[in-house]
Amino acid sequence: MTVKCAVRFCGGCNPRYHRGMLYQEISEECAGMSGADILFEYAREDEQYDIILVICGCHSRCASYIQYDFKKALIISDYDQKEHILSSLLEVKNELEKVL
Amino acid sequence: MLMTGKEYIESLRKLNTRVYMFGEKIDNWVDHPMIRPSINCLAVTYDLALDPQYTDLMTAKSNLTGETVNRFSHLHQSTEDLKKKVKMQRLCGQKTASCFQRCVGMDAFNAVYSTTYEIDEKYGTNYHKNFVEYLKYVQENDLVVDGAMTDPKGDRSLAPHAQPDPDLFLRIKEIREDGIVVRGAKCHQTGSINSHEHLIMPTMAMKEEDKMYAVSFAIQSDADGVFMIYGRQSCDTRKLEEGADVDLGNKQFGGQEALVVFDDVFIPNDRIFLCGETEFAGMMVERFAGYHRQSYGGCKVGVGDVIIGAAALAADYNGANKASHVKDKLIEMTHLNETLYCCGIACSTEGYPTKAGNYQIDLLLANVCKQNVTRFPYEIVRLAEDIAGGLMVTMPSEKDFKSDLVVGKNNETIGDICNKYFAASPSCTTEERMRILRFLENICLGSSAVGYRTESMHGAGSPQAQRIMISRQGNIEAKKELAKAIAGIK
Repeated sequence: MTVKCAVRFCGGCNPRYHRGMLYQEISEECAGMSGADILFEYAREDEQYDIILVICGCHSRCASYIQYDFKKALIISDYDQKEHILSSLLEVKNELEKVL
Repeated sequence: MLMTGKEYIESLRKLNTRVYMFGEKIDNWVDHPMIRPSINCLAVTYDLALDPQYTDLMTAKSNLTGETVNRFSHLHQSTEDLKKKVKMQRLCGQKTASCFQRCVGMDAFNAVYSTTYEIDEKYGTNYHKNFVEYLKYVQENDLVVDGAMTDPKGDRSLAPHAQPDPDLFLRIKEIREDGIVVRGAKCHQTGSINSHEHLIMPTMAMKEEDKMYAVSFAIQSDADGVFMIYGRQSCDTRKLEEGADVDLGNKQFGGQEALVVFDDVFIPNDRIFLCGETEFAGMMVERFAGYHRQSYGGCKVGVGDVIIGAAALAADYNGANKASHVKDKLIEMTHLNETLYCCGIACSTEGYPTKAGNYQIDLLLANVCKQNVTRFPYEIVRLAEDIAGGLMVTMPSEKDFKSDLVVGKNNETIGDICNKYFAASPSCTTEERMRILRFLENICLGSSAVGYRTESMHGAGSPQAQRIMISRQGNIEAKKELAKAIAGIK
């Protein structure tokens, strides 16, 4: 099953790490993981998503995302949370597959 | 529909804006080397809005149309919107290290929107409807609008109607059935040349005798009778030097102010938002000033971020970064900068809805914000100059660094000599060291000092204006009661 994941960035006024680079690393590592099968795209309001990945540059976590249609939200606000987010993406994918 | 930065620049070429500089008419002002850096700043506000990494701050959903608009033309609908406005401005300050000029229009939109609602409520006028239609037009076309408040003012001890020259405050010269004719000028107009439109507001609270000066309207930049005279800046003609790069400090971006003259300009009725209702002039001024004082807690903080980075780099390049006093100076710069940000966020968080529905900032905290902005940037650049050292104002020109004129006994060129004697830490080239020092020179006392220092002092109102508001809003009587309660005074 291919899981559709929306990507939403915060506005980047005070990022503590390079958000764009983190997104690139996450999408590349997912592509390299077996069983991952996650399709990433920038969030759009006219689409439905299984997951929304909200990439915030700091712990203020001020990015707006509730306007999008998604089943599960994952929020990252620190580069060190990358590994946790990668395993969370897989976990959510497995949960969604079980439901189906 | 959101434009790209390139489309915005091309849209300016379609205007017939009359621009004068050094006593001459400038036909191609879009490409003029002294004006183009300020246009580039505005182009950034367009490009960032289209970048997914920044859209959360740069765009919003319009309450008027439901469409996504650039936040610079948005009516704030929540305290979250107010906070995002400050963050957006910080971001733009970081990306340009300059005054990016688009915030005055945004602050004017919000002030005029809520004030016209209350004027119509009292007098049954159509100003709010006029303004809503106007703002929809601005949003749909993604325009830049100059928010114009400051009159030349002449003799400050005299009211507008008492001035020997009646044009020293912009006034209604004639009222016709289909509109009004206005005459006067607005000075210190930030980004006016780079704007598609101008939104005029009165400059102060007015009494009945000043009825003809209580006026607010919108007009196109190239309307008949409108023209602009460019404001000089420190070191501005460096931008005219052939091949200028390093010596500019900030080659790509810069600010802009101009005198905007209204030479018997006709304003149709549907673009009028205040016409003689003097009791509401003060409300419009106070609300605009409040928003604009909030703005400085964002934009100057973003520029401050860049200055701190530049000072830290200068310390690295000078080989002085390990010195404890240098570290402490960077800490102090950060403390001052983030204090300004605290104020911007605080006045936003404590915002409240107006009768019209858009959100207003907390006036006391916004004035505290701006009062701090009149002081802290001066200390920030003082510390930056301290860290950078005197070389930032004594080094030879970039032409000298690139010169192949032989001057030395061993055939050394001027360029060789400059690169030899101005080398410092091996972590950088001499050119990199020169670049960062020229950036600091520009922001501390060059053309960008206009936007970072003097504008911090006088933009959105001079220091005394904020002290008057702090006094009014400070609630001293309630504080006396607090003290009495603690001291046991009945």
